[in-house]
Amino acid sequence: MATKPSKLPSPDRFPDAEPYWAAINEGRLLLKRCPRCSQAHYYPRPHCPFCGHRETEWITASGKASIYSFVPVRGAPRPTAVAIAELAEGPRLTTSIVNADVHALRIGDELVLTTLPGEGGQSVAAFTTPQANEARAYTARAIKALGTSPVEQGGAARSLQQAAVVGAGSMGAGIATALLNAGLTVCLIDRAPEVLEAARQTIHRNLDVLVQRGKLTQADGDARRQALRTSVNIQDVAGADVVIEAVWEQMELKKAIFALIDQHAPAHAVLGTNTSTLNIDHIADATSRPGQVVGLHFFSPAHVMPLLEVVRGPRTAPNVLAAARQLGAAMGKTAVVVGICDGFVGNRLMITRDHEADRLLLEGALPQHIDRVLTEFGLPMGTYEIADMAGGIELVHRIRQQKGQQGTIVSRLFEAGRLGQKTGKGYYRYEPGKRRPLPDPEVTALIEAASREAGIQRRAIGDDELRSRLILPMINEGAKLLDEGVVDRASDIDMVWQRGFGWPAWKGGPMYHADQLGLPLVVEQLAQLQQRLGERFRPSALLERMARAGERFTPTAG
Amino acid sequence: MSLNGKAYIVGIHEHPIRRADGLTTAQLHADVALGALDDAGLTLDDVDGFFCGADAPGIGGMTMAEYIGLRKLRHLDSTETGGSSYLLHVSHAVQAIAAGHCNVALITLADRSLAAGAGTALAGIDFTNAPDRPFMAGVPPGPLFGYAMVAKRHMHEFGTTSEQLAWVKVAASHHAQHNPHALLRKVLTVADVLESPLVADPLHRLDCCVMTDGGGAIIVARPEIARALKRPKVKVLGGGEAFKHADGGRIDLTYSAGVRSGAKAFEEAGVKPADIQYASLYDSFTITVVVQLEDLGFCAKGDGGKFVADGNLISGVGKLPFNTDGGGLCSNHPGNKGGMTKILEAVRQCRGEAHPAVQVKNHDLVLAHGTGGSLAGYHTAGTLILGAE
Repeated sequence: MATKPSKLPSPDRFPDAEPYWAAINEGRLLLKRCPRCSQAHYYPRPHCPFCGHRETEWITASGKASIYSFVPVRGAPRPTAVAIAELAEGPRLTTSIVNADVHALRIGDELVLTTLPGEGGQSVAAFTTPQANEARAYTARAIKALGTSPVEQGGAARSLQQAAVVGAGSMGAGIATALLNAGLTVCLIDRAPEVLEAARQTIHRNLDVLVQRGKLTQADGDARRQALRTSVNIQDVAGADVVIEAVWEQMELKKAIFALIDQHAPAHAVLGTNTSTLNIDHIADATSRPGQVVGLHFFSPAHVMPLLEVVRGPRTAPNVLAAARQLGAAMGKTAVVVGICDGFVGNRLMITRDHEADRLLLEGALPQHIDRVLTEFGLPMGTYEIADMAGGIELVHRIRQQKGQQGTIVSRLFEAGRLGQKTGKGYYRYEPGKRRPLPDPEVTALIEAASREAGIQRRAIGDDELRSRLILPMINEGAKLLDEGVVDRASDIDMVWQRGFGWPAWKGGPMYHADQLGLPLVVEQLAQLQQRLGERFRPSALLERMARAGERFTPTAG
Repeated sequence: MSLNGKAYIVGIHEHPIRRADGLTTAQLHADVALGALDDAGLTLDDVDGFFCGADAPGIGGMTMAEYIGLRKLRHLDSTETGGSSYLLHVSHAVQAIAAGHCNVALITLADRSLAAGAGTALAGIDFTNAPDRPFMAGVPPGPLFGYAMVAKRHMHEFGTTSEQLAWVKVAASHHAQHNPHALLRKVLTVADVLESPLVADPLHRLDCCVMTDGGGAIIVARPEIARALKRPKVKVLGGGEAFKHADGGRIDLTYSAGVRSGAKAFEEAGVKPADIQYASLYDSFTITVVVQLEDLGFCAKGDGGKFVADGNLISGVGKLPFNTDGGGLCSNHPGNKGGMTKILEAVRQCRGEAHPAVQVKNHDLVLAHGTGGSLAGYHTAGTLILGAE
């Protein structure tokens, strides 16, 4: 018979340190100071480790410190650096810096106290940067500003209770899930019964996951399942307060669908389209009620990603816009109103960046370099990791085919059967059943071949150049969007990027970042890139004007 | 009382294994003990002093004393200071011999952390009740981040570069190619090191030592016994041990306790750093070597990076051949404690028994140094200066 292993003693929780732990739970850092020799020490002890005096007093530290040394931690669940922080009061302590731009830190940088949740409801001390705190405060202001769009004065929105979703692909299934979770009844419509059935199972699975995670009771999960109906008949939009179209991204198809929706949907129904690239106004032409047509651009996965771009066509009625925003709010989304343009806000900046990334691949970079620079910058995933996850290679390949472009890296990958995670290889390779992107020498060879064919001599490209060429065009594009009136305010662009693409709150957004760099510097660097590399870097007129006038995109506090 | 010349190292053994599946820690302790006794030409009954660290299973040294078969013990010491323990054990053995507490001291290290899946933990060390740990919640355990912070600060204060750090690994690899038991035998370039993944900025994977199982043993004996044995004489000329910790928040990452252990050892031996012909320097990480070179006085504080660059540590090429067995960086760092193997190679060099391709021509005066614990927190430095007779 095996003997029971002797139990390890549980860790001592030093009773003399209780005030420290209570203070941390309130966000304060306590040190001990000796009444005899006046020195402060950390970590706290009941005696003075300098002079041996048997009594020590608690003092509250300012919470301010500077970095004595630090090391960013790779693969941590939140941005983290191990650090030795020098408190303003003198003692240096080993700690962690969290939820800040850990890859941009320097020795000597200012830190401020923060706390992290620990075991058993006890917080632990950590540090963050004043810059990260300011960016978070900006984020709070920017979210509030979203609710004050000029179009708000548009008339009362009627509450939406019944929805129809046309198109049961992965977006349709996700949108249906999100609608069910918002308490609406949903009729999911698709021509193909097998697609409908697959979508129904996906939606049920999505609800199961919520129940498993304890976010939803079994009873509520069942109720939501009951609230879902499927149909192969487009006529079944007849009872809907809101219809959301999510079929293939093809103008003729969408117009045909909208014509049918127009025939059967009730007069008051909000007619939404999930299109990410097509002109809402042209789609509205297919109906007799263009005022009811609005873009409802969800981000994949639609039941998870918090962003909803509400696309306002020139004829979209104010009350329809208001209803769309209300629907977004009911679905727990951050709804950002944008005007019509290619790619709206989110995708337009992303596509600009990703085109430059593709050029950088030809010039000498590899997918892993670009993705590392982007993730160290603060984005949750890089361009090529996303492409592999979301079927980007196939999507871009078909678009390029339609445009008659050939011989690109994407087409080579596609022809090699490298479609991304679902084929176990794309820009990266993947171990069976695993999702971690691994650099693949086959891809390197393929990219090198593309460079050769394009007559480009490959060179090593440094991180600074990669970063400038990926990020500055995003800022430039954002400025153009502002100039074109596609967004009401610069901070809306930033909220799109935070909520739709994971731009971290501790870094604000592309336009906030531009303000941190300083617009004159942004213009200067774009102009230099324009000289070296071409017109695509030409600073936008708005950017140049604002830089000259000493203006900012985003408001400062107060 | 000076310990210069009060005892000799008369036997050494390094276990050839690097991964100990199927062997117990106790067996490994016995293997290395018997190997060192064979090397010395002594027997179990000659041993009357035993030194070991917390890697010895059981209570202190008692359980291993029974297992190995040491029945004549008069002196027992289980000082544990991490990887530097063995530098202290030799000093303590000399002190015990000089004070008449024993005549023949056996020192052993053995562990199988790799086969046991123990990572960078130190066998037998329990931090459960360590009072500092709760205040460092959120900081990953293990030495890596602390040493990386030392490197980062060193670069900030002195301009040390990653290329300079890489030279330390490159030099060790030049030596490891000749060691049939070394774990990594490929000769590396600076580019190889810099292209290895950054594990903790600024340290790359190849800036870190290997992880191995195995161990080693040393026999220290009083001069009368040493002179009767057949092996080349290795006299202990000087020894020092010193300690440094975070001192209530007064952390300074730019120097180690080596400034004091080195000073004591050099003073006792009556020699200067420029006299040393070979040095075994603790090489848990490349930065450890750079800091120790400065602290021991081989160069000025801050010049360690320049000192190690361009192959200055390579035997036959540079001014200070180091770790000619390949060191912890390339050959062996058993149980995450590299102090034992540092002494073993220093003894080989002193005897003229290192591999011919790396044997230093004049080997009258050699040094071994260890840093145990964390350079970013509490650590112990141990220095030994040995002379050929």
